[in-house]
Amino acid sequence: MIAYLTAIATLVGVRALLTLGLNVQWGLTGLVNLGAVAFFAVGAYTSALLAVGGTPLLLAWPAGVGVAAAAAAALAMVALRLREDYLAIVTLGFGEVLRLFLLNEAWLTGGANGVTAIPRPMHARFSAHYDVFYLLVVLAAVALVYVVLERLRRSPFGRVLRAIREDETVAAVAGKPVFRFKVQAFALGSAVAGLAGILFAHYLAYIEPNMFLPQESLFVWLALILGGSGNNRGALVGSIVLLGLLEGSRFAKDVIPFLTGVRLAAAQQMLVGVVLVVLMIRRPEGLLPEKPGSD
Amino acid sequence: MPPIVQYVFNGVVTGGILALPAVAFSLLWRLLRFPNFAVSTYLTVGAYVGLMLNHDAHAPIQLAWLGALVATGAVALAVDRIAFRPMRARRPFSLAIASIGVAFVLENVVRFVWGNDFRSYDVPVMRATSIAGLRVGRDQLLILGAAVVMMAAAQMFLLRTRLGIAMRATADNALLAAVKGVPTERVIAYATLGGGALAGGAGVFLGLDASIDPLMGGGLIISVFAAAILGGVGSAPGALAGALIVGVMEEVGTLLIPPTYKTAIGFTVILAVLLVRPTGLAGARA
Repeated sequence: MIAYLTAIATLVGVRALLTLGLNVQWGLTGLVNLGAVAFFAVGAYTSALLAVGGTPLLLAWPAGVGVAAAAAAALAMVALRLREDYLAIVTLGFGEVLRLFLLNEAWLTGGANGVTAIPRPMHARFSAHYDVFYLLVVLAAVALVYVVLERLRRSPFGRVLRAIREDETVAAVAGKPVFRFKVQAFALGSAVAGLAGILFAHYLAYIEPNMFLPQESLFVWLALILGGSGNNRGALVGSIVLLGLLEGSRFAKDVIPFLTGVRLAAAQQMLVGVVLVVLMIRRPEGLLPEKPGSD
Repeated sequence: MPPIVQYVFNGVVTGGILALPAVAFSLLWRLLRFPNFAVSTYLTVGAYVGLMLNHDAHAPIQLAWLGALVATGAVALAVDRIAFRPMRARRPFSLAIASIGVAFVLENVVRFVWGNDFRSYDVPVMRATSIAGLRVGRDQLLILGAAVVMMAAAQMFLLRTRLGIAMRATADNALLAAVKGVPTERVIAYATLGGGALAGGAGVFLGLDASIDPLMGGGLIISVFAAAILGGVGSAPGALAGALIVGVMEEVGTLLIPPTYKTAIGFTVILAVLLVRPTGLAGARA
């Protein structure tokens, strides 16, 4: 039971990071990223492959964050040139193409077999209670990212992002380089997603392409909208509620007899979709709404 | 005959099927101001309605196709009423996200009922005939013919009928059209119905040309999107041309790169359009 709870808490932490990242993009800046899972995967694979190749984790981890941010910046620069709608499809497409790449370029990524034996940091030292140690690492990362993003949100930079979200013409008239701010916000959010991927990969010690399916991006959206976008506290709460929803619906199998594996997965995803749509209509501000003019 | 001709022909058939949802997607985008990601999932809905009628109720495929057309139009209309209408005044991106949610729900309803297996219609298997060395399936010709007729009908409707003109007026400037007495909500309802029907019909074609599975429609969203922006958002002939180009590129592309990377071609087209000519080939303003 303790082991189960530790594992769940670790995964909540990883999801919370993803949600915090999306919050920078959608919640603060109003940018649609439908490929959060892609930058999660970029971080995971970059760090995992480097580490398996013998690079020390102290270098592999920042590299994972850096590559995720760079990929995001490049995509955003192409997609945001004309209309923001295009960012949605470019990020969605990037996620799909990346997954094909991970599946097919086995020489680099291990293909469908994935990457195995990813080193776990300081495993020898804490091997007795390793999962607890790792949970603490993840929680520390969440806390750090939360504090940084919270400060950022209140900083002049964060205010510009929120201004762009509300009315980018006004922001532009006020002399803000809107395009540059958007690209920075997008890269920053994706860097956080990359960090989530790194923590995920080195926790499981094993990754494969099917862990990065497009629906994962939708789960991140649900967590964000659920908690209340624009507000980092909401992003944390949303991640916890989402995991409760996903884990809880797993037990539906024991109660409802005719649910087979495929049906259970389908029903679970239907639930996620319905909750997302209903929230978008009924309560777009989420459980913890962003306080207007809070700072 | 060089083998590339065969690939081009197959690409034209793929493009003909793709054109139907691409036109629907492009026009609805212009009309409602958000990219509706559920449009390509309407193909899946249509294909399975067709399967239900053709396979389970033993209806001939033509009748099943008609049923798919009507039922998918109705589903699209219901989706609009339930999900999109309460959000009309919201930021367009919120609607785009909601449409992803809708697509996800529809896809999983299909998966829940029919499972993940690949299915096909009960139609007599026809030997492909060979015309000057070109392998042409009878289904392919029928699909192409029907797609052309549907496209022509859609274009005639938009250009010649009162409702079609009202639709274009609303797409151009919703406020001005409303001031001039165009009933915005009714226009949206008909456009949604028509768009859903086009996509649903295309779903049966796709099921005939390839096979039926829960991801068949949703997996096309990148190609549909590529076709729409290649043709310039809001232009029906543009979306048709875009779909043919994307269809041919995807088929011919398999000569150069492994077929597993088909989706990457649509993605590359999108990036190329954005980098080189962001307003689309025809230069229509988005």
